[in-house]
Amino acid sequence: MISLRNVSLVYQNGVRALDNVTLEIGKGDFVFLVGHSGTGKSSLLRLLYHEQLPSNGEITVDGIRVERLRRSRVPALRRHLGVVFQDFKLLSDKTVWENVAFAMQVTGAHTKDVMRQVPRALDLVGLAHKSRMYPGELSGGEQQRTAIARALVNNPKILLCDEPTGNLDPSNTTEIMELLLRINLKGTTVLVATHNQAVVDRMRRRVVRLEDGRIVTDEERGYYYLGLGQGQILSG
Amino acid sequence: MDSGKVKFFLGEVLRNFTRNAGMQATAIGTVAMTIVLLGAFLFVHQALAGLGNNLLNQIEISVYFKSDVSSAQEDALRTALAHDPRIASTQFVPKKQGLTELSAETHGSIDASSLLTQNPLPDKLRVWVHDPQGVAAMADELQTRPGVDKVFYPQDVVARLLTLGAVLRRLGIGVIALFLIVAGVIISNTIRLTVFARRREISIMQLVGATNMYIRAPFICEGLLDGIFGSLIAVLILVVARYALWPKLLLALPWIQLNASPIDGPVLVAQLVAAGGAIGVVASWISVGRHLRT
Repeated sequence: MISLRNVSLVYQNGVRALDNVTLEIGKGDFVFLVGHSGTGKSSLLRLLYHEQLPSNGEITVDGIRVERLRRSRVPALRRHLGVVFQDFKLLSDKTVWENVAFAMQVTGAHTKDVMRQVPRALDLVGLAHKSRMYPGELSGGEQQRTAIARALVNNPKILLCDEPTGNLDPSNTTEIMELLLRINLKGTTVLVATHNQAVVDRMRRRVVRLEDGRIVTDEERGYYYLGLGQGQILSG
Repeated sequence: MDSGKVKFFLGEVLRNFTRNAGMQATAIGTVAMTIVLLGAFLFVHQALAGLGNNLLNQIEISVYFKSDVSSAQEDALRTALAHDPRIASTQFVPKKQGLTELSAETHGSIDASSLLTQNPLPDKLRVWVHDPQGVAAMADELQTRPGVDKVFYPQDVVARLLTLGAVLRRLGIGVIALFLIVAGVIISNTIRLTVFARRREISIMQLVGATNMYIRAPFICEGLLDGIFGSLIAVLILVVARYALWPKLLLALPWIQLNASPIDGPVLVAQLVAAGGAIGVVASWISVGRHLRT
């Protein structure tokens, strides 16, 4: 579903964000991308939705060669992807319903599809009863669930999450992670970049660890730190 | 057509338009002022051009026949000119009438009949052409006709009026272009501000896969509305000004033969509004495009 081959990304200021990264993610996988801030997690996600182009290497997302994509085809790629961010990126002057519907409306969806899909997405994230509220009236967890509903409303095959729980307290964090798991069980490939050790260690999913732009470990049912069991704490 | 889509789109345009009401008012006001100035300039320009044309249309070519001309030759020339599409009108002045006119011009102080035993004046044909540019060519052509002795026309005046016309035309094009550019820059800056105010929304649209055309469309409409509202207000001001000032202007400048209605012609109104709208569209297209590329 997602494939990176020998991908490097060097920013114009000379910073090497990714260094010869090769990664395969299958259909329906749930993968954590972990590492300290600045190790290239966000850069890797940005490459997948063509926000950034690699300096070298091949990137394939759902059969589309991303780095070769013409500018005019980028919207088509992004309709296959849902993206969720730490800061939610909701529009404060639109209601929950409108925020979710917006993602369909601006891609020219038919009204009858909007009327069918939006309630479905809101049901999935458990916000159907708050659809008339504005983001400012919601908790952080609810705002993130709205953002997830928006990311899912176009039925993407892949959900990319960049620090989705970075602004949330532990109980909201758990809630969001359970939601992502449910989404994954419905068949959506989920890729979560995070540095939340507790979440990663509790969920025991595939963990890909980045350090200085390189993949240093890639474990099925892994922990945040390589080979560490729960309860063992490593400082730093 | 999906009415829900149209409703969403128009709703977005209206929301953005009203949300930045202050900014839009500034843009519309400035566009209106620019177009009022443009309209006022066009008015003066048309008045001057009209004045020049009036003078040019009065230019006459005087064709003097030889003293031994036959009336057949005179008739031949008059018939030929009557069928020439370049000729507006002609007037034949026989020598006898010429003498009477001369006497009238000197208020009777020359009583030709008492001084002269013979009329020294030749027969004369006055010729007016449609196109003032063609005066010189027509004069040269008339000179070659059989029976024609001399051809006169106010060469100096014609040359100056033609130069004036040419200068006015160039000046007009230059000033109109300048005004349109100024209005375009203002609208473009306003749209850039609204684009900046909505960069978050735009980034979300890009993220969920909206095409650039779709992102652009509401801004284009916004620019179009700025341009059209601005020019409508300007037209209103110009029409009011025209009716309020016109009679006073006629009184103040009786010696200028102003054209009857150079300003409130529906064509000019349509042109100003279309120009306003077009500037709005082009200006917003450019400013959104600049944002989308980066």
